[in-house]
Amino acid sequence: MMLEAPDEAAALELLHASGCTDGLPVVIPTQGRVDRLVLASGLDADHLLGEMGPGGGAATIEKIATNAVMAGCATDHMPVVVAAIRALLRPEFDLGEMQATTHSTAPLMIVSGPMVRHCDIACGFGALGPGHRANASIGRAVRLCMMNIGDARPGVSDMALLGHPGKFGFCLAEDEAASPWESLGRSAGFSIEESVVTILGAEAPHSVVFTNDADDADSPSRLLRAVAAVIANTGSNNANFGAGSVAVAFNPEHAEVLAAAGMDRAKVQAELHRLATNTRGHLRSLNTGFLRAGDEDDVVHAVRRPGDIVVFVAGGSGLYSAVFPSWAAGAHRNAVVREPIVTGESCEVPWAAAAPPAGAPTQS
Amino acid sequence: MRDGIEAARRGVASVALVTEQFWLQGDSVAVSAGMPDLPRLRLPHPVAGTGHDAMARVADQFAARIVEVLRGQALADNVVA
Repeated sequence: MMLEAPDEAAALELLHASGCTDGLPVVIPTQGRVDRLVLASGLDADHLLGEMGPGGGAATIEKIATNAVMAGCATDHMPVVVAAIRALLRPEFDLGEMQATTHSTAPLMIVSGPMVRHCDIACGFGALGPGHRANASIGRAVRLCMMNIGDARPGVSDMALLGHPGKFGFCLAEDEAASPWESLGRSAGFSIEESVVTILGAEAPHSVVFTNDADDADSPSRLLRAVAAVIANTGSNNANFGAGSVAVAFNPEHAEVLAAAGMDRAKVQAELHRLATNTRGHLRSLNTGFLRAGDEDDVVHAVRRPGDIVVFVAGGSGLYSAVFPSWAAGAHRNAVVREPIVTGESCEVPWAAAAPPAGAPTQS
Repeated sequence: MRDGIEAARRGVASVALVTEQFWLQGDSVAVSAGMPDLPRLRLPHPVAGTGHDAMARVADQFAARIVEVLRGQALADNVVA
């Protein structure tokens, strides 16, 4: 559908009135701007990535580019947006159901690999807050696609009772430079040259405060217990359903506490899985509708497997790490999805042959 | 809503029960599934969690209409007479 307006101010009002925005001003998606991002994708405009629920709209590259323009994306961002949409459309993500749930959940996008530096996706201080163009634009583009292609409308087809601010945009990078562990992409079997977006449907971050004491041999264990207690928070779906995925963003200082104790990512995941528990009796004393009656002393893990806990490093160094609980429902229980970011298709895009801009910050 | 759609796709006569608060979502799902006219009845909200007696009252209130709609003897709430 092509909208027409006499000028950009009128076009913006038309887009607001048509329900095509997230409530904030957007860049007007003129044909020329859309064509530029289509080109940056390296794919044909009518190339179909799939149908996006709950409305079942056709996620073509042109539609994705249109929403990316509105979100303020640069050409560099387009391959990341395309990869994220590909990931969301994987059947195991249950996007249509996730968009329609009453739970407050949004796709948390964690980017790893060379594209982090190339696009200047923030991973440090305030990475999920304002002031980072790539994070904001990529995250917003995905949300606008979910609204305008997936037809997720608040109170009509997106039934989140309250939602959370991450539903405007929820994108950050993994801090590979500060991480003591291999990247999320490498852990998932991708090569070091590949950039990867890892996505799970998540609540807003829950802060975990922890004070390290280098003289206390129990510090790593205290940190893990502090994080596990938030994962097992009895207000979360994970705790009550005993399923789903969870993301944990350790700040570099906290990650180093664990690494210094000889813990790799798999060990951290295993310990968090072991520690993040409640008893059946405790959970049923709060909610009777989720767990069947049984031995009250039964131990209920907040997630089924250690691998359901996405552990990565992000944020500034200091006292706080963060836990992102998930919806934990749908046919696939809110599976984590991963998708490589394909840039080889975009050889005609100017940046593809150029070095990163002078003075571009590194990911650390 | 999805259950009603899946049943209808299998050729089973169906009527979807949609609570007041989710009525618009029902419309949206029906349209996106290509079955905008799938019969649906408008239930009070909430039903879930209201207890056995309240749910039994809703069932008593709607059971006869459900059967009538399934038999084509009554109009569903989404059908304009």
